[in-house]
Amino acid sequence: MLHPFRYLAPQSAQELAAMLADHASDGKILAGGTDLIPNIRNGVFKPSVVIDVKKLPDASSLRLGADGLSLGPAVTVNDILRSKDARERYPVLCACAHELASHQVRNRATVAGNVVNASPCSDMAPALLCLDAVAVIGSGTGQRELPFREFFTGVKKTALKPGEWLDRIVVPASSAGARGSYLKLKRIAGHDLGIVGVLFVRLGGSLRFGVSSAAPTPVLVDTVTAKDGPDQAAATVLGSVSPISDVRGTKEYRQHMIGVFVRRLLAEVK
Amino acid sequence: MKITLTVNGDRYERECAEHHTLLRFIRETLGLTGTKEGCGMGECGACTVIMNGRAVNSCMVLAAEADGAVIQTIEGEAKGPTLSDIQASFERNHAVQCGFCTPGMVMSVKELLASDPHPSVDAIKEAVEGNFCRCTGYTQIVEAVTELTGTGAKGGLDHV
Repeated sequence: MLHPFRYLAPQSAQELAAMLADHASDGKILAGGTDLIPNIRNGVFKPSVVIDVKKLPDASSLRLGADGLSLGPAVTVNDILRSKDARERYPVLCACAHELASHQVRNRATVAGNVVNASPCSDMAPALLCLDAVAVIGSGTGQRELPFREFFTGVKKTALKPGEWLDRIVVPASSAGARGSYLKLKRIAGHDLGIVGVLFVRLGGSLRFGVSSAAPTPVLVDTVTAKDGPDQAAATVLGSVSPISDVRGTKEYRQHMIGVFVRRLLAEVK
Repeated sequence: MKITLTVNGDRYERECAEHHTLLRFIRETLGLTGTKEGCGMGECGACTVIMNGRAVNSCMVLAAEADGAVIQTIEGEAKGPTLSDIQASFERNHAVQCGFCTPGMVMSVKELLASDPHPSVDAIKEAVEGNFCRCTGYTQIVEAVTELTGTGAKGGLDHV
């Protein structure tokens, strides 16, 4: 049973900005709903207004342009997996998308929602961090751009200010062709939240690790060099994270498995 | 608010509360109770319906979001006493025990076969990874699909 709320579906950025101004404290943005609806059901949020962004112009647009791959706020995780452009040019994005939840959830869950929630266990955040993706942030007074490196500020906290929304995600053309692999440790073979996840990406001569479920925010580690051996690489990655013990695993188990994953990924992604 | 949608080929125009889920609308407003509520939070897949061609958890979709949508539920499968091919294969292969997960399973398989008529065993497992079955152990469910599509050998599935 859901707490009662009103449903609003703005058709333009101006309408959305006005609604967010009117409901700064009691409004919640709805994209895929796969986090928001259960959170309302469980009493985590009690919004009086839910504002659906799926009817904004270009909300579902997934477009390859000169600047890279552009994702509107309603682009779903499975839209990424079904996109030939994403599969051919941004396989790292697909590697992470494929590990997110179940098929039905991926049919609704949006890439934007997965990062705006800023959960430490976000599966899309490691890819967006490693691929130098940029958040295009909308507001009533215009747009600003922010690299995802500066987007996550704490557990479930982002750099979005009141009245702002994530309008578009741009994965730059300079990251096309990056190769990588994402290893996600789960309690079961089927879908589950991660215990830890490690993405490894080779982009030109640069080595990047994106780590989920191992710190208050998803973490980018770009200080491993091609000269580092596996042990040094694992030590560098572990030095950048601060895993905790919780219901899904202990701090020690997470640290151990991050090291295992870093070594495996270095051997796997050549 | 008033919404208009097509469910199993029938067009409905109905009032719905803005905070009601599509699942609740289907069951309580339309009276189609084949679609089940299990966990209510997108884990179990018992509430799976097909919305605009995609399998979705109807417990996490608002009825308001389904305005204008084309929906398929388990009630649209059998034609009178004649089961659909998927239902008949589930029955032949003992892919049903208590039956609570079955409507959602059938919807997930239906979406899969619409896009991939000859799925691999891995593709079948992936299609139903969001549908929990606590009775069958899944083997018979995968076999029901492979028998229907002629893909994969019957039996010998180590685990799902």
